[in-house]
Amino acid sequence: MKLIDSMAYSSPEEMMFGFAKKPVTTKSGLVIGGGSVIPEITTHPRPGKEHDLATLSRELERANFDALQRCVSVGHPSIVIENEHVFQMTNNPEWGAEISSISCQMIADFKSKYGLNAAYRSTIADIRKPDLVNLRDSERTEKVIESFKLCAKTADIVSIESLGGKEVFDHCIIRNDITGLLFSQAVLGGRDMQWLWQQIVEIATENQCVPGGDTDCAQANTAMFMAGGFDGKDIPHTLAALTRAIGASRSLVAYECGALGPGKDCAYENPIIKAITGVPISTEGKTSACAHSDLCGNVIAAVCDLWSNEAVQYQNMFGGSSAAVFTEILGYDTAAMNSSIMLGFEKQYQACLINSDRYRDPQAFILCPDNAWSIGKAIVDNANSLYERGRAAAITCGELILADEQLMLTAIEKKSLLGYMQELNTLPDNEADFIDLCLHKYQKVKGFLPAAYGL
Amino acid sequence: MEKNHKNTSIFTRFDLTTEEEEQGARKVSSDPLLQKVGSCVIEGDDDQIEQAVTEALQNKSPLVVTNEGLIAGMTEVSRLWAEGSYFLPQVILSSDAMVVGIKLCEQKLGHPMDKKAKVITHTAEGDIHDIGQVIVNALLSANGFEVINLGFDVPVDQVVSACITHQPIMLTGTALMTTTMSAFPRIAEKLIQENIHIPFVCGGGAVTEEYVTSFDLGIWGKEASQAPGMAEDVLKGLSWLELRQKWNG
Repeated sequence: MKLIDSMAYSSPEEMMFGFAKKPVTTKSGLVIGGGSVIPEITTHPRPGKEHDLATLSRELERANFDALQRCVSVGHPSIVIENEHVFQMTNNPEWGAEISSISCQMIADFKSKYGLNAAYRSTIADIRKPDLVNLRDSERTEKVIESFKLCAKTADIVSIESLGGKEVFDHCIIRNDITGLLFSQAVLGGRDMQWLWQQIVEIATENQCVPGGDTDCAQANTAMFMAGGFDGKDIPHTLAALTRAIGASRSLVAYECGALGPGKDCAYENPIIKAITGVPISTEGKTSACAHSDLCGNVIAAVCDLWSNEAVQYQNMFGGSSAAVFTEILGYDTAAMNSSIMLGFEKQYQACLINSDRYRDPQAFILCPDNAWSIGKAIVDNANSLYERGRAAAITCGELILADEQLMLTAIEKKSLLGYMQELNTLPDNEADFIDLCLHKYQKVKGFLPAAYGL
Repeated sequence: MEKNHKNTSIFTRFDLTTEEEEQGARKVSSDPLLQKVGSCVIEGDDDQIEQAVTEALQNKSPLVVTNEGLIAGMTEVSRLWAEGSYFLPQVILSSDAMVVGIKLCEQKLGHPMDKKAKVITHTAEGDIHDIGQVIVNALLSANGFEVINLGFDVPVDQVVSACITHQPIMLTGTALMTTTMSAFPRIAEKLIQENIHIPFVCGGGAVTEEYVTSFDLGIWGKEASQAPGMAEDVLKGLSWLELRQKWNG
């Protein structure tokens, strides 16, 4: 498969929230990336509601209805509703299909009654855990594919958080092993996505459904969560930043296979993806504090097209159900961004978002549009192989962090980063040699099956 | 355009303001051979540790090498982690090195080392996110406990059955998803039916203190690093309720 070797944006200054070079129109008629930012609410069931289809369906039906109703109540003109499948929704493909069908009908009813513009994203759960099954050949794999086939019939957008390389990544992230992280994300994750996403795009296209995008949630977000806040001691924040850069080279594969965006909200690598591809992206930051903490709550909104909350469990709050409350929050955020566009102040508004977090943490720093663009450029300039571009992304990321004197690092963070850079710079130049090295080094990682990646 | 906002009204870099100068590792033994073993553990060097332990075993008993080299090194690693000089991966690498060293000592001894006690660990039924459990396993092993690792996506009945078979002092459960942690109270209920009243430490992702302390036996584990301390408390005789009172609330 030919890898992308050029940038959609000729400079980072071109990149702006609400505007994508390649806007997407859903079958429900919603335009994403066409000049305004749209809220994307992700609702999630309460514990115990997953036991049977009727209970789960009722739970998500209520949550999604509350979101739509709150849009009407406060005047939010458009919204994307996403359901990330819980395990049971993909393990029983008809469950996810039923919930997608109900949600899309509800959206149509709101459109008919109020003129509300909305779309539904169905995110299939990747239940193919690499150390549990053969990624390419298992009953679980069949269920994932079947779920796409059934959900694409009604959903506007389909996505997945794919798990390729996760077994090696988990082994390496707790062992400070940047070589293994590069192998797991760029090579294994990329190869799995090449296999998976060609099928997803074909299924979605047959059903006039938008093949959205993927996310390196299982890997780069694992690193981000482990890095934690300023009081975290699990892994260095600089390592989390490097995994994010590598994750961009991995998630890019979906778009090389024909995905159109919007990218998944939890893909914090999306600003890099947008710089390369021009597809619309969904991002989450301060509004996803309901699900997890991060250190880039504002800057991650700088070039978004959908603005999301990751996932909020359905429950009652003083201001209504959590689905309604977070819809209201997201919608007001996007209203402010869209107002800045209307007033011609979008550059100033974007500068506020960026400067809020630029030097808060290395992870935020590398997602500022200028740095995201530079990492993207390193990726497309090294399009010989998945490995070479992932390595280039990591090295460029590290160089950017080390080059800016205003980005302060603790001594242990800097020492760690210098160690990773040294290791990255001594790795083989070509992919074949790197794969040989890694197949030997990681052959005993529990559950690692090279054949599942075509190796 | 951009300014460095350290200690401004925009944000405070508490990692920088609270940073302390790294003190480095302390000596663990005055004996050069044991110090070499301890240093290999502290540095997580699982290549050199074989040679270091083999050399030490030529002059010292396996128990001495274990206690005064391997375990002493691991104790220093715990201290370095606690003071912020080490990140978790360094602890895991040290644990890996210690496991290599322990195996050599066991070979010399002719039988497995006595472990402090058994702890069963698992990740909830329907949940495949087991990195938290992997960390718990490593930390418990490094602290001398025998870990019975049931893996991920473990059915409720299998967890209960393992507790009946192995009679651990403690059970742990990990879950990332709210929709999988509902297995925990079902496990606790079945354990009680079997008259097994061991502490059941539950943690990970969306698992909350409120949820875990809503059922008998449940103790909320906020961090994986708490697991060895909790297991030590059980060894001291604390009941599940006393453990909950100490670590939760």
